[in-house]
Amino acid sequence: TFVHVLHKFYVVNALNLALVGAQALTPSHHLSLSDVARLHSFLSQSFTDLESAYYSIVGLTKLGANVADQRLHLCHIITSQLDPTSVDSLFFAAEASKALSGCEIPVSNETRDILLAAVSEDSTVAQIHRAVGALSSLGLPLASQEVVAALTARINKEDNVMAITLALHTAARLSAQADFVGILEEIEDLTARLDDLGGVYLQFEEGLEATALFVTAAYALSDHVDMEPPLKEDQVIQLVNSIFSKKSWDSLAEAFSVASAAAAFSSNRFHVPVIVSAQGPATVSHSQPTLQLLVTDVLSQPLASASVLVESAYAVASKSVILSQAPFTLNDGVFELNFMSSQPASGYYQFTVAVTGDSRLIANHVELKVKVSTEVAITNMDLSVVDKDQSIGTKTTRVDYPSKAKSSFTADSHQNFAMSFQLVDVNTGVELTPHQTFVRLHNQKTGQEVVFVAEPDSKNLYKFELDTAERKSEFDSISGTYSLYLIVGDATLENPILWNVADVVLKFLDEEAPATVQPKTLYVPKPEIQHLFRKPEKKPPTVVSNTFTALVLSPFLLLLILWFKLGANISNFSFSPSSILFHIGHAAMLGLMYVYWTHLNMFQTLKYLAIIGSLTFLAGNRMLAQKAVKRYAS
Amino acid sequence: MAAFGLLGNNVILLVSLASMLQCVSADGKTLVLLDNLNIRDTHSIFFRSLADRGFDLTFKTADDPSLSLIKYGQFLYDHLIIFSPSVEDFGGNINVETITSFIDGGGNVLVAASSDIGDPLRELGSECGIEFDEEKTAVIDHHNYDVSDPGEHTLIVADPENLLKAPTIVGKPTNKPILFKGVGMVADPDNPLVLDILTGSSTSYSFFPDRPISQYPHAVGKNTLLIAGLQARNNARVVFSGSLHFFSDAFFNSAVQKATPGSQRHEQTGNMELAEALSRWVFKEAGVLRVGAVTHHPVGETTPPAAYTVTDLVEYSIVIEMLSEGRWVPFDGDDIQLEFVRIDPFVRTYLKKNGGKYSVKFKLPDVYGVFQFKVDYNRLGYTHLYSSTQVSVRPLQHTQYERFIPSAYPYYASVFSMMAGLFVFSVVFLHMKEKEKSD
Repeated sequence: TFVHVLHKFYVVNALNLALVGAQALTPSHHLSLSDVARLHSFLSQSFTDLESAYYSIVGLTKLGANVADQRLHLCHIITSQLDPTSVDSLFFAAEASKALSGCEIPVSNETRDILLAAVSEDSTVAQIHRAVGALSSLGLPLASQEVVAALTARINKEDNVMAITLALHTAARLSAQADFVGILEEIEDLTARLDDLGGVYLQFEEGLEATALFVTAAYALSDHVDMEPPLKEDQVIQLVNSIFSKKSWDSLAEAFSVASAAAAFSSNRFHVPVIVSAQGPATVSHSQPTLQLLVTDVLSQPLASASVLVESAYAVASKSVILSQAPFTLNDGVFELNFMSSQPASGYYQFTVAVTGDSRLIANHVELKVKVSTEVAITNMDLSVVDKDQSIGTKTTRVDYPSKAKSSFTADSHQNFAMSFQLVDVNTGVELTPHQTFVRLHNQKTGQEVVFVAEPDSKNLYKFELDTAERKSEFDSISGTYSLYLIVGDATLENPILWNVADVVLKFLDEEAPATVQPKTLYVPKPEIQHLFRKPEKKPPTVVSNTFTALVLSPFLLLLILWFKLGANISNFSFSPSSILFHIGHAAMLGLMYVYWTHLNMFQTLKYLAIIGSLTFLAGNRMLAQKAVKRYAS
Repeated sequence: MAAFGLLGNNVILLVSLASMLQCVSADGKTLVLLDNLNIRDTHSIFFRSLADRGFDLTFKTADDPSLSLIKYGQFLYDHLIIFSPSVEDFGGNINVETITSFIDGGGNVLVAASSDIGDPLRELGSECGIEFDEEKTAVIDHHNYDVSDPGEHTLIVADPENLLKAPTIVGKPTNKPILFKGVGMVADPDNPLVLDILTGSSTSYSFFPDRPISQYPHAVGKNTLLIAGLQARNNARVVFSGSLHFFSDAFFNSAVQKATPGSQRHEQTGNMELAEALSRWVFKEAGVLRVGAVTHHPVGETTPPAAYTVTDLVEYSIVIEMLSEGRWVPFDGDDIQLEFVRIDPFVRTYLKKNGGKYSVKFKLPDVYGVFQFKVDYNRLGYTHLYSSTQVSVRPLQHTQYERFIPSAYPYYASVFSMMAGLFVFSVVFLHMKEKEKSD
């Protein structure tokens, strides 16, 4: 696996080299003026405890802010919150009061003893750091060699990034005569622990604060002993990228660490990263012929002592060199070069800019992409409708920008709509072929838009023909009035054009219904549905049924009448219980039939019928028996 | 059988309730895949807003060999953020298939791409009906670029009018423009679920900024999607942004002004509000609906019968709740429809809000069979709400028909005269005294 790892290492290195070879690394992040202002206001938030006071006051001082106007107020907070028995409290108060200058902190012998006692192998690195910081800020004497010994012993026990960083901070506060060799080596060891993220960022996995504090400590100690820190140029740039890429800080401590690192990067004796940026967009044109560069440190403070030189400049498209070894002139903090005096054609130019004047400068060879922009004009705009069969004898209409053609054009499926125009540079008269030359047809009724690309011929004459029959699918075969727009744009054009040239009426032969499935209808309410109830059937006239009812009832009446005539009687009726019961039962059974029809179901009916039926049966049997006896008797 | 069916329904209801509760109370475990860990710093405002809202974020580089979405058949995370446009191969056992199955399993995904887009993200987009343009291309708009554009007119100012009109997805309407720099997309026209959340203007297009246009650009005009979304049929949500910068602290805090002379300067972009609204939507904090109690009964009664009879007058009511700030509150909508369905809907009517619930009274159709009360509410930005309750509708019992139809009077009359005749005849026949023959 070792071989494998080694192999991977080489591959990564080779890749890095290839990247570096292709383009020198330059800082991609720094604190812009607005970032500095936000960092300033973040650090200026009101505080109540001593730790926040330390971060705020010292952080603001690192940014070069003036905190003197609030000195009395701040000093009061510090002295009132001070706990003279706590090392932490003493450290925060001492550092803050030192930054305020003129805010005395009372020091007793006990305080000094507490601080001195904290400097021992039994304390943590953090405690030693705070004790030493307090002692040195309060101007009290301390034995540097003992501190170094204690730190060295502690580092071996607390082998983490934060502890070692604090040890570096502590060492920077000691007398320069002490023996720092062991601690100085830790800078190199820590550098090796930094994670390289994509060759752009270099940071500790412990986070931004650890990375920023390490940078501060490394430069403080290097300045102190006057020895260049073992950081390569690329590493410095990667550290800059990773510390200043975060533009929104989570805590005062984090903001403080960023401010400290920014101060370290802008004022140390060895490495000052240069930020070269164009004032506004990196664009020159006939109206704005000078290229203006801002050359600053990471805090966006101008490096006035620098001098700036174009080593070479070549056109990106043709690779031809247009400028070399041309100096910029410093004018009111801005480096200027009149690039238009070299009469460049419009397009992109690759500049290699060198910033010199200080041996500390890092990332001082910068590649810049500069744009030369111009203005475009549309000439010879001719519109016509051409019959496909006979391409001669068509009338062309000329339209001038920015007016719209007075009459609209009509093209059906046997005709082509044609358009031709030229694009020229207003300043030089040269024909241009911009990136975007689109023809847009917009149906105002349906909102549909169809865009075509107009292409130039060999003479840079743009011709656009719309074959109505061939293109009907793109219009969904919807006939109607379309507004014709010409869109011309390019990154090197200062005046992009959006011109409503004319109205075109397109007529498609076989007009199809627009696509039925509209995807967006997925989310709208569906139409309401009312159930259509079946209508009752039409009934025949009641006269018929009533007549037949009467006819049907007539036999019964006839029976009664005939009986009456014949003299039917019931004189044999005897009021015996059985006969009364039989007839009542019989009537009840017939009545049950009626109730069955109107109210009951079969099972209920059978139940009742069983009761009534059996009673009637018995009563009937008895009645008939009595009748038989009576008949034999008579 | 009926009791068993009821029990079965209850069990299903319980199970679905339990899964819903789990969904709400889940701690929002979110895996964040980054190109490099520095993105955590450059996009800290966005991540902090997520963390403040209770999401449990796990940051990993996209090629971390220990990556894993599924373990023992269980999803380890509820949500996935892919802020690693240039990834060529995901680490561990994550690949496009596992992400697709994560979405199929109901997971929500937020993807941000850039002009350095790698193949896996393009494939993932295709799976979701979104076609990214090629690597190294960018959305270009020569008419709507920001004043701070570095030179290629790819730092685009998108008008808020080009946002989807759906406040649950894009938040309250504002007039703050949106800064965008990245790759363009087009929606698959055959996929009706893709939402055009933010489109380019008519003058925008997507192409290589440094090459002349030799072929028709991938995306032109309003077809150019800057941000697209998708709510799958299982309610899983996916948002694709063509720009990773869109979510960055720099874009959140930047001022914005179109470069065309005379345009208005806005001190702040609308990116932060839009990004927050999008993250609320995609991670199911907004636009989540659920069905509460469903009741139905004949008008005038309180309990449903075993079976309804045709043409009954029925009252149906349903409780619909929406998730808001982590709690379920009554949903306020005026276009919820009830369908009464037997294969095809027989009735479709709007439900009216009535206190905490939606209800409607209607007359059942004169058709019998097995029907469903169905509420199928599918609106832009909301989860798909579906509730169906099965009931049977039977024809009239024979006692419920009209007893005496005028046209049939002859039949009734004949029967009743027959019956009366039988009775009278039996009395006369049994008790008649014949006259003496001797007369």
